[in-house]
Amino acid sequence: MNITVKSGLMLGAGLVLAACNGPRRIRERPIMNNGDRTPSQDRIVAGAAAEGYSDNATLTQARDSVYAKAVATCRGTICAAVVKGEISLGMTPVQAMAATRTAPAAWTLRESGAATVMVPRVLGNSPRDATGEVVMVQFDDERLNAVSYRETQGIRVVSSAADTTTDGRATAMADALIREGDQFNAAGDRARALDRYDRALALKRADPMLEYKVATMLDLQLRPIEAQIRYQRFLQSLEIEQIQARGQANAQLADAIARAQQRLIVLERQAPAPAPARTPPEPD
Amino acid sequence: MSMSSPVSLRRLAMLGLAAVTLGACNNKRVSRVDPGSVTDLSGRWNDVDSKLVANSLIEQTFGGQWSTQYASAHGGTPPTVVVGAFRNRTMEHVPIGTFVKDLERAYVNSGRVRLVASRDERTEVRDERADQQTNASAESRARIGKESGANYMLQGDVQAIEDAEGREKIVFYQVDAFLVDLESSQKVWIGQHKIKKYIDRRRIGW
Repeated sequence: MNITVKSGLMLGAGLVLAACNGPRRIRERPIMNNGDRTPSQDRIVAGAAAEGYSDNATLTQARDSVYAKAVATCRGTICAAVVKGEISLGMTPVQAMAATRTAPAAWTLRESGAATVMVPRVLGNSPRDATGEVVMVQFDDERLNAVSYRETQGIRVVSSAADTTTDGRATAMADALIREGDQFNAAGDRARALDRYDRALALKRADPMLEYKVATMLDLQLRPIEAQIRYQRFLQSLEIEQIQARGQANAQLADAIARAQQRLIVLERQAPAPAPARTPPEPD
Repeated sequence: MSMSSPVSLRRLAMLGLAAVTLGACNNKRVSRVDPGSVTDLSGRWNDVDSKLVANSLIEQTFGGQWSTQYASAHGGTPPTVVVGAFRNRTMEHVPIGTFVKDLERAYVNSGRVRLVASRDERTEVRDERADQQTNASAESRARIGKESGANYMLQGDVQAIEDAEGREKIVFYQVDAFLVDLESSQKVWIGQHKIKKYIDRRRIGW
């Protein structure tokens, strides 16, 4: 074979191999070319606006209707609570909805006998009242007897008049913080435990046991001066408690004495006069 | 020496041609075109990409359930959104504001979402409000502490991948946008738009 032909074949083979080794080009049909038009945004927005307007109008009408019904049937403190947007004990389901400014679409209602439970339809989008995010409302015989709120430290249940006050709320939050602190302490995370106890102490000032927990945590963290101060405060608060207890006991005692004396007077007045002592007849 | 010699005529013609050529180089043409028209020149990010992204995100945001669910749980009150950081993570200049503003416009004009001013915009408004407390009359003064808090924050980013070989180049853009619940940090909506461009720089072509 001629040398020229051989070298030509070699070159050809080399070119073919090089071509195989190169990137494979995929020719895609363009979806948009110069001179085409992009669709207008105004049409999309107008469609969304029309749909949104109709949805909002329906929801607003339902909410206003609930509000009107709630206000028509409420009295006194319940009426004030509805207007302020606070769920309160004794409300009806409609009044609870009005207090949260919601319509029935926001809730799922379950009934069993006289008990009714109202929970948010979409979790994570729970309705709110002036206090916080409501996660469950319980009714007994159409009257609200417990409401649960989702708070930073967990779920807080309001089921008595004392729970609804600011002090009641603070106590519930402090208790939750103490629980959290105890969990951290058990897990060996003393810094976080101390942080939770400290925060609880801000809400629950007069609690000697909490003071003792803080002192112990400081002691374990090798902070003796602060621990000493806390131990002293714990002992002082105990003494104050003893004095208070004694004072209360004395006051209760004094009250009991006064009541007993009053009662004695009443009883003495009510009781028939004792019959005069019979004198034996004189012998004739 | 006569002016009409062949050399002089040739020189004159050359000068004329040079003048015409220079004049042609200096020619500037400006025309208005439809903002909705597709005009790709360099292959870099341009108005068409911005518009496509905006359209897609607007459609996706209204197609999602997040605003309806919020309104339904709050008696028809629409959710309030604040625009947060939208980052350009590409190597080229991508003006984020163009499609973010389109999205903001769609939110407000649809009535399905309330929008509060972003951090930078608020600073200016607060300065003005503070100034009013000293200089405006009592009845016209804007009151302090009446701002609306947002329920969700709009965040997002733009990323790009490039692949080039010889005269050919592929650029891929991915725009991600999401709404984050400010209380729970949950992402309630994620929107995404992808653009793939093929750029062929031919040396000769018509």
